[in-house]
Amino acid sequence: MPPTDPPPDTPVAADLPAVPHLQAKASGLLLLLALLVAGAIGYLLYARGAFEPTQRLVLVADDAEGVTVGMDLTFSGFPIGRVQHIELSPEGNARILIDVPKKDAHWLRTSSIFTLVRGVVGNTNLRAYTGQLQDPLLADNAERKVLAGDAMAELPQMVAAVRELVQRASALAAPDGALAGSLANLQAATDQLKGPRGALGLVMGNEADAKKLLTTLDRTNALLARADALTASLDKLAGKTDAQVFGAQGLLPETRATVLQLNALLGDARATLTRVDGVLAEAQGIASNTRAATTDLGTLRAEVEASLRKVQQLVDEVNRKWPFARDAEVKLP
Amino acid sequence: MSRSQPAPRSQGTPGPALQWLAGWWQIIHLGAVLGVLALSASGRQQARRSGLAAPLVRASGPMLLGFTLATAVLSLVVIRIVIVTAQSYGLSQYALEMVVRVLVLELIPLAAALFGALNATLPMADEVASLRRRGQFQALQQQGLDPLAMLVLPRLLAGLFAVLLLAALSCAVTLVLAYLSAHGFSLGGFDRYTRTVGRVFSPSVTLIFCGKVFLLGSAVAWIPLVTVLQNPAGRRSRASAELQGLVRLFLVVLAIESAALVGNYY
Repeated sequence: MPPTDPPPDTPVAADLPAVPHLQAKASGLLLLLALLVAGAIGYLLYARGAFEPTQRLVLVADDAEGVTVGMDLTFSGFPIGRVQHIELSPEGNARILIDVPKKDAHWLRTSSIFTLVRGVVGNTNLRAYTGQLQDPLLADNAERKVLAGDAMAELPQMVAAVRELVQRASALAAPDGALAGSLANLQAATDQLKGPRGALGLVMGNEADAKKLLTTLDRTNALLARADALTASLDKLAGKTDAQVFGAQGLLPETRATVLQLNALLGDARATLTRVDGVLAEAQGIASNTRAATTDLGTLRAEVEASLRKVQQLVDEVNRKWPFARDAEVKLP
Repeated sequence: MSRSQPAPRSQGTPGPALQWLAGWWQIIHLGAVLGVLALSASGRQQARRSGLAAPLVRASGPMLLGFTLATAVLSLVVIRIVIVTAQSYGLSQYALEMVVRVLVLELIPLAAALFGALNATLPMADEVASLRRRGQFQALQQQGLDPLAMLVLPRLLAGLFAVLLLAALSCAVTLVLAYLSAHGFSLGGFDRYTRTVGRVFSPSVTLIFCGKVFLLGSAVAWIPLVTVLQNPAGRRSRASAELQGLVRLFLVVLAIESAALVGNYY
């Protein structure tokens, strides 16, 4: 019901100036406030995700510290879900219930990994990682274990490691430490390098050895000079040898002629051997014949031995029947 | 319906603490009476007879543009400072959330309440005091009308409306300015920005915010008007009554703001 003007007899607005287009202005202001409130309600509902279908994801964590209702689940830095509820499971774990809009749910696969990272500065972050986007989609009400990473938890360990490192570095760089000693030795070595004996003195340690080395170098130089002369002599010798060996009247042509003669001689020898082969073949034939004759002689011998055994038997028979030379003697013990 | 009369000063000499408590009790009592009038059909009918549109337009219209521009400039400065500072510390992802929390949740409603008090309800309280001094309350009572419903209730509703409108419009402008400062004239960051706003305005925060704005508007509309009714006409100077109203308003606004902070962050 629109507001009505006061009756003329009421003293309410008697001394106030009249507002032109009062009803229109009042209606406009009311409409403006209604629009602002309605717009704010609609925008906040949209911002809270009231108009988009979601699916539920349950993350199980050992410790839900830092996780708050309303915080985002991010994938590659983009928020794809929002924590709706945190509860304690019968096993004593924290169950983080997250609503993921259907339009973003395809980023989550069965092989996705979820991490809960507590930073040194800033909020705790829930992150999703999907390596294989070809894997099956994550089902509604899927329950996954969340991997917890705590930067603060590793901080004391890191500080301890850094302290140990600093202690070692301090010990190394102490005035009586190894680094200082090495630097002193290096300084001494540099001084020696700059001295009269130079690097040779630094390497050999004393002057006598350095002199020995110089003497050795001199001798080596002399030796090298003699080696040069020797090399020249060898060159001359090689020239002569070349002439003797490879010259027109040298050793090599004569050797070649000798080899030719030797080849001819070998040919003669090969022919002779061929002939010897023939002779040997014939000798082999003779030997075969001789083997056959030897076989015949064996047979003949067996026959003779059989005849002899018969004669022996005959003599024995005659001796048994006619004892001509029987020496019958009885010997007594 | 009670015909509320200004409370006469007691003849005894109560201590300052008792006077202070009695003063607050009268304010609360008159506020409750006005609340009952606003919720009752007869009270609303009398208020409509006296005309709701004129106080509403007079309370909101003249300062709407000026306050919106002032808060826009102030918001731009604060937004810029927050965003640049957050970027320099590498925490730019938290800048928008901080802007929304600091400006929209806290500063803008407070500024709207104080601005509404100074520009709408304190002048209206002055009008009521003037009408009362001129005996218009008694004239209405002689006609059988309730001066609270006829003269005070329309101004109270107008003050409440003015604070609500200023806060809503300035918050909307600040949200737009924060988006433009962070993302420029591009819709590319709308989803992320909307998500940030949604994260800030959780159900509990939204409830506390709405309650705070409504209570601030009610306090701004109620305390100055009731304070001028509390004292007998002509007993105290006009400046003293306004100052007393301002102090009480400041205390109530401080209490509401503290309670909202405790509700939001503890």
